[in-house]
Amino acid sequence: MAEAVFVLCAVTSLACAVLLLRGYARNRVPLLLWSSLCFVGLAVNNMLLVVDLIIIPGRDLLLLRNLSALLSLALLIFGLVWDSE
Amino acid sequence: MNDFISGMTSALCCVAGLFFLRFWRKTRDRFFAFFATSFLLMAVHRMVSLYLRDDSEHLLTAYVIRLLTFVLILVAIVDKNRGTPRKKDSSPPRPVDSVR
Repeated sequence: MAEAVFVLCAVTSLACAVLLLRGYARNRVPLLLWSSLCFVGLAVNNMLLVVDLIIIPGRDLLLLRNLSALLSLALLIFGLVWDSE
Repeated sequence: MNDFISGMTSALCCVAGLFFLRFWRKTRDRFFAFFATSFLLMAVHRMVSLYLRDDSEHLLTAYVIRLLTFVLILVAIVDKNRGTPRKKDSSPPRPVDSVR
């Protein structure tokens, strides 16, 4: 059950990233670019979660996972501050 | 160190959620409301997973919240593409016409 949730997190976040990137390619709204970059990072974060907890359970990737999430959110906040005015 | 980074990420999720809440107030576009809810839930996920980190049996709850945040974003995109845009004001932030 837990494995299914981890994999679903990775799949849905990747789908979000792809759809937002396609939206940006079509509309050129900067907010979509920053959001899609954030979700690319969150997809990487979720893939690291799958690798860490399912594929290679022995290796502790918690720091890498946390850093990827922080970087993704920092990128989004930068975009929101930079482009929203 | 991990707790510190997780706390920072949680705070950034709240900030992003508040930004989207402001966009929603300005444009009345549901797309932003979904995003605001999603990012605020991401912050809740971080808090719950910190609280439940020693309880592997219930840690799944935290990850279900995480899954819900991504599902909400997908719902926002589908809703945007299907529904008519609801906007009062076209001033910045620029409303998102469609996401496909």
